[in-house]
Amino acid sequence: MTTETVERVRQVDPAEHAYADQLAFLAAYDDGPRPPGWRLTPRAVVTFIAGATGVLQLPKGARREGLPARCAIEAKFVGDRALVERCVVTLAGERGLLLVGEPGTAKSMLSELLSAAVCGTSELVVQGTAGTTEDQLRYGWNYALLLAHGPSPEALVPSPVLTAMSTGAVARVEEITRCLPEVQDALVSILSDRRIAVPELAGTEHATVPARPGFTVVATANLRDRGVSEMSAALKRRFNFETVGPIPDLAAETALVTRQAKAVLDRVSTPFAVDEAVVEALVTAFRDLRAGRSVEGWDVERPSTVMSTAEAVAVASSIGLAAAYFPGDRDVLSLLPGHLLGVVRKDDPADGAKLLGYWDGAVRRRAQGGARLWRQLWELRDVITD
Amino acid sequence: MSSRTERTEVNAVLDTLYGCERPYLVGIRHHSPALSVVLPDLLAKYQPEMLLVELPAEFTDWLGWLADPGTTAPVALAGVVAEGGGPAFYPFADFSPELVAIRWAVAHGVPVVPCDLPLADPAWRDPHADAAWRAPAPQAPLDHGPAQKAPLDHRPAQRAPLDHRPAQEAPSGPEPAREAPPSRRLTLTQGLPTLAQGLKAAASGRADEDMWDRTVEARAPGADTEAIRRAALLVGWALRHDTERAGGVSRIDLCREAWMRRCLAEAAGKRVAAVVGAFHAPALLPSAPDTDTPATGAPDTDARNTGAPNTGAPNGRVRPAGTVVTSLVPYTFELLDERSGYPAGIRDPQWQQAVLRAAGDPLAIEAAATESVVQICARVRAAGHPAGPAEAREAVRLASDLARLRGLPAPGRGELVEALQTVLAQGEVMGRGRAVAAAMERALVGDRRGTLAPGTPRSGLGPAVRDLLAALRLPGPGGPEKEVRLDPLRSDLDRRREVALHRLTVCDIPYGEATEVVGLGGGDALTSRWRLRWTPGTEAMLDVAGVRGVVLAQAAEGMLRERRRREAAAGGPTASEAVEGLRAAAVCGLAVLTTERLAEVATLVPASGTLSETIGALALLDRLRLGHIAGASGLPKTEVSAVAEVLEAAAVRQVDGLAGSEDVADAHALAALAQRAEGTGVGLRLSAALDRLTTGGTPMIGAAAGVVRMLLGLDEPAALGSRLASWVDTATTPDARRALRGRLTGALAVAEPLLHTGGEALTGLLERVESLADDEFLARLPALRGGFHVLSPAARGRLLEVVHERLGGGYDVGAVDDPDLLLARLLADRAGLDALSRHRLPAPSTTDGHPPTVDAAARTVSGQLSAADRWRLVLGRESRCLAGAARRYATALDELYGTGQGEGCRDGDAAGRGPAFPSVREWARELEELFGSGVREEVLASAAESGRADAALLLEPHSVRPSVELLQSVLSLAGGMPESTVARLRPLVARIIEELTRELAVRLRPALSGLTTPRPTYRPGGPLDLSRTVRRNLAVSRFDDDGRFVLVPATPVFRTRARRGVDWRLVLVVDVSGSMEASVIWSALTSAVLAGVPALTTHFVAFSTEVVDLTDRVHDPLSLLLEVQVGGGTHIAAGLRYARGLVTVPARTLVVVVSDFEEGYPLAGLLGEVRALKESGCTLLGCASLDDDARPRYCVSTAGQLVAAGMPVAALSPMELARWVGEQVKP
Repeated sequence: MTTETVERVRQVDPAEHAYADQLAFLAAYDDGPRPPGWRLTPRAVVTFIAGATGVLQLPKGARREGLPARCAIEAKFVGDRALVERCVVTLAGERGLLLVGEPGTAKSMLSELLSAAVCGTSELVVQGTAGTTEDQLRYGWNYALLLAHGPSPEALVPSPVLTAMSTGAVARVEEITRCLPEVQDALVSILSDRRIAVPELAGTEHATVPARPGFTVVATANLRDRGVSEMSAALKRRFNFETVGPIPDLAAETALVTRQAKAVLDRVSTPFAVDEAVVEALVTAFRDLRAGRSVEGWDVERPSTVMSTAEAVAVASSIGLAAAYFPGDRDVLSLLPGHLLGVVRKDDPADGAKLLGYWDGAVRRRAQGGARLWRQLWELRDVITD
Repeated sequence: MSSRTERTEVNAVLDTLYGCERPYLVGIRHHSPALSVVLPDLLAKYQPEMLLVELPAEFTDWLGWLADPGTTAPVALAGVVAEGGGPAFYPFADFSPELVAIRWAVAHGVPVVPCDLPLADPAWRDPHADAAWRAPAPQAPLDHGPAQKAPLDHRPAQRAPLDHRPAQEAPSGPEPAREAPPSRRLTLTQGLPTLAQGLKAAASGRADEDMWDRTVEARAPGADTEAIRRAALLVGWALRHDTERAGGVSRIDLCREAWMRRCLAEAAGKRVAAVVGAFHAPALLPSAPDTDTPATGAPDTDARNTGAPNTGAPNGRVRPAGTVVTSLVPYTFELLDERSGYPAGIRDPQWQQAVLRAAGDPLAIEAAATESVVQICARVRAAGHPAGPAEAREAVRLASDLARLRGLPAPGRGELVEALQTVLAQGEVMGRGRAVAAAMERALVGDRRGTLAPGTPRSGLGPAVRDLLAALRLPGPGGPEKEVRLDPLRSDLDRRREVALHRLTVCDIPYGEATEVVGLGGGDALTSRWRLRWTPGTEAMLDVAGVRGVVLAQAAEGMLRERRRREAAAGGPTASEAVEGLRAAAVCGLAVLTTERLAEVATLVPASGTLSETIGALALLDRLRLGHIAGASGLPKTEVSAVAEVLEAAAVRQVDGLAGSEDVADAHALAALAQRAEGTGVGLRLSAALDRLTTGGTPMIGAAAGVVRMLLGLDEPAALGSRLASWVDTATTPDARRALRGRLTGALAVAEPLLHTGGEALTGLLERVESLADDEFLARLPALRGGFHVLSPAARGRLLEVVHERLGGGYDVGAVDDPDLLLARLLADRAGLDALSRHRLPAPSTTDGHPPTVDAAARTVSGQLSAADRWRLVLGRESRCLAGAARRYATALDELYGTGQGEGCRDGDAAGRGPAFPSVREWARELEELFGSGVREEVLASAAESGRADAALLLEPHSVRPSVELLQSVLSLAGGMPESTVARLRPLVARIIEELTRELAVRLRPALSGLTTPRPTYRPGGPLDLSRTVRRNLAVSRFDDDGRFVLVPATPVFRTRARRGVDWRLVLVVDVSGSMEASVIWSALTSAVLAGVPALTTHFVAFSTEVVDLTDRVHDPLSLLLEVQVGGGTHIAAGLRYARGLVTVPARTLVVVVSDFEEGYPLAGLLGEVRALKESGCTLLGCASLDDDARPRYCVSTAGQLVAAGMPVAALSPMELARWVGEQVKP
């Protein structure tokens, strides 16, 4: 009994399952013309992702069994609505969409929501790594079948991209820049010819797999991270680029960090006992170092490493865990400088000097300004001077 | 429920506005293609008898010229209110509704009346009135105040172009969540905080979009003319409504509207059309005055403000004479573009013009968009980035589809820009994004120039400047040449004169010429001298500058802004350009621009400035803070201090980049920086950086850092003292002596003041000098002398006095060279001795004629040289007091060092020097005799280094010890010598290079060994690659007799770890600007070794500001090095651009830049090149220095940005470079 429940529970529900009712509702709510292969109208896709004010009500004629008559659509992606509009229009033109931006800016989530809304599935996904091969973008073979029966459509193992082509769906390629350039370039011909040739099946009707209407590719990439390969100009020309920025608002980011750190601690059933002010100081430091400019407008030297929200979450949860497992050992605040130093130095040890500069400038001035928390941090400077 | 009532209410008000017949209201924005298209129709339909336009009365006389068919827009009307007032500026283009209306009225014989408040009215210039009036408003959130109504309210810019910033609505307040209405419908208010937000939400998804654009312009194509008028009135009313709710309409606006109503009242009974800002339209309703002004007491203030100058004649025909100077000047699209900084502009005039031409036809607008996109793609292509018809098609598609999604009839400017960004910029802000932005600017801004109709009266800058000069009592046209000395800090007239002269200079108007004035003690002068003359050239240039402004201040500001734009277009401004821009703006007294430039300096200099640029900027800021720049006396000092603090922090960052410095100036800069930092508390970062320098820097900078640490109290003086002493002790080898010289130089450059006070830090050093054995002392003497040479002769003289005192104050007979005096002293001495012996007291011992003190005598037992003589030798002073052998040493060393530079070099005891050597040969012989052959070589090498070519010729090719330093000094001579001499040097250079290369090759070869044997891919050995084997052999496989498929593995494929490592390409891009000599030599040597590796093609590209490809000489470092001319500036981007041309297979190309990264050109270009190379797939590496110690001297901030752009920067030794190359090339 218990094992069954455990098996059914998913750590993360894909968007098309989590929001199945909203998608069904929107399909009925807006019955305008749709691009070929689309489940929703472009406007409904925008509404699904960026949310709608108030509660939407189905028009009289569209009421059907099993559909709620009224539905509230909340914003799932916190960001620019115009960005979502551009993404949707790009996909409506069956052109490739490339979401770029720093790590931790919800690019993958956006791509998942887009594909779920457009074609009803977000599972046609290729995870890009340095080990990704061309087979994962085109097709592979079931060698046992191949050896037994020779080349045949049955022995062919389609990639998610091939499946998307043959069903007219949206294929997702995550972290495309982590693939080797020659592997990435497999997408060039797919996006321009819109078909995949299978030379091994030459002479049969399966020699080429053409793309059905509606097929397109949403890829995500980090252009600035280390360990990425550059994309070729030919491939870039086949994508429309959208830059997804970090969360613009301190309060929103603090809330997000707190929420996610809480979730981490929930998993081990311990309360998150870190003061809101400490989290805010942490997020402020991350934002200052990320932007190269403090919230007060002072100049801050930017370390070469990426100071993503995800890392802020990691630091917040470590501090939370330390507070939970070693209560009363030390003030949680005193752990902060050490963690910051660890994050800043992870790419280039010389970046430690930049944190010293941050302490010299922003931290000292805030301490002088009388902020108690920052004065405590300033007094903890010995931690970062080694 | 409430929203519905509100909507009804809105419709009611709108109906009143729209339906009003007297006056007929046309609410406009200053530039609006949509209204410009429909305005003639509207006016023709209404058939007005009189036209009111929102312009101050003073411009009445110009209206005829404005509407003249000979006048081509863009043109601008400007009015200057006497002294102190900035110009009010009204630029007009074909898409300005006022101009369209005036043209229509003139063509149809309808009288035009300017109905705005006259410029002479004091209400314009009362800055407090507004604030005082607004203050009591209790709930003013200031969210939707001026920023929001700016687009509609085109009041003239009173000296603050910034006020007229774009129509960006303040992105504050809670962003309303939006619904996507299933049908297109203009929903007005849905319980939203403000009407403006409601309108915006209904119109577009973008947060930064301005309401007028969304509601009027974007919806105009294909719409009914009346619908456009209605929409415009609606936007104006909505903004006004929100402004009233948010605290009220500003007093100046109320005054202006009161004036407009008076004008209307005058025309009572006529059919009047009022073309005014949409914001003001509701105030002109016949019912308006009663509802509008009661709470404000406006009637009262109106009487005071507007009544006084011209009672009862509001129509402008009677104006306050002589106070307002008006002019009509030609204008350009470039200036009209809002980003030019000129007031009342609009974004992308060329696009607006195209929309106007389309005359409201959606298809024509789409065609215009297509045309723009194609043009932009062509420009992007011209900039070297791929952008073909496919991209153009997609951009047009995206723009149109976005418009459709948003329910607009045709793509607006917003959609066009979004589409271009998405399709063309490829997420690259630096490289491609910049090219796209530049292309967009060129194509959308345009370069149209206006002209005035023939016969238009002359106006503008020329008359204004003549009046100004007369007022300042400076020579005008026809006046005699005059020379003046200005003391701007004391006299106000002089201050104004100085500012005016600087402004003229900035405008390139030949009039005043500044002559150099040197302040007391070499400091900054506080007065200035000018030679003034009015020439025909002055007149001519005034006409040229006239397009930029109608008064001198405006023209100067325009010129400086134009300069800034140009810098920005070139990818800059660079740090030095920003500093120069700040200086120029400050001396011209342009407060707004100065503040902007100050902000720019605060961001740019920390980001890209070198240490010297940062120090230079700090000096300028000091002058600003102390008020030494007359024009900028009004600048808030706290702001300047804040920026100075930022720069200090930036300078501290640069300290790490000094590690490889050999330049004494860097030591001085370090000391100056430390002193500044001390004021704000010693930074953690500075102390850590100094510590790193002490251990990892060159001897010179390391020692300087050590002393700085001691001065800042970070180290104990005693500890430093013992280190100083130990340097002397260990100076037993030539290398160590060289280091000693460097260390002394660095330490003394910083510690000069300490020398006079002594103290623990120097005791050790002083003791060593005095207590070493003679031969040990002499071996170190050239190094010591070299180290102390950094001090000026006068400082050395003072030091010698200190030493004399320290030695016990004994009277030094040798210092007197008058024989009579000497005799007298001798006799006195004798008498004294006699007296002593008479009293049976012990007499002091005497050695070789010197009467040393007890103290000194104790120390000189070890040798022949007394302590005082040693100091004379070390310091190079009082040589003539030396006796015998010591004098020969002094003479031999003086030959090398001379008297030195700086304070005291002209006087002193130059006469005491012995006769110079007749030839260098004799000098060399003498050196050998005195110091031995090892030291002789060192001295000769130093001589060669300081420019004595003949010394280099004496070095024996076969006996010389090859070192890079020696090679460096010899090569530095080669440039300035005749070919014949170079020929004689060649064997020496050849031998040194040969030796060094051989040495280097031995060390490098192991790191590169794997490269020579690339492994074949199909060689059996690795694991079998099953899938490839199957695929490869499918062709030769067959079905057997049973119908079963049989695979025949004829060609097995194996996995191999080795990539095909042939034909890698290494491009060494080497900076040969000054200060890079050592790295150049190492680069040449390293490339010679690497060129010997078969798997590698090595290119050698040398650059300063020019680029030379020396690849054909890479096997022969001798000719390569003789070819290179070290010196000049740094343009890394040019070097990289050339390197980009050498790339054929990016994935197998290594580009290594050897440079100090002190880029003299805009950083953006450099970053763009780096990105371009990186994007193409090359492997990049920046070498901050390439020498055996891997100690870099480089610009930290620039290097940091390069790292961010994708080029790792490191200081490497040739060994490490070879290892890196090996790692990249090997599997």
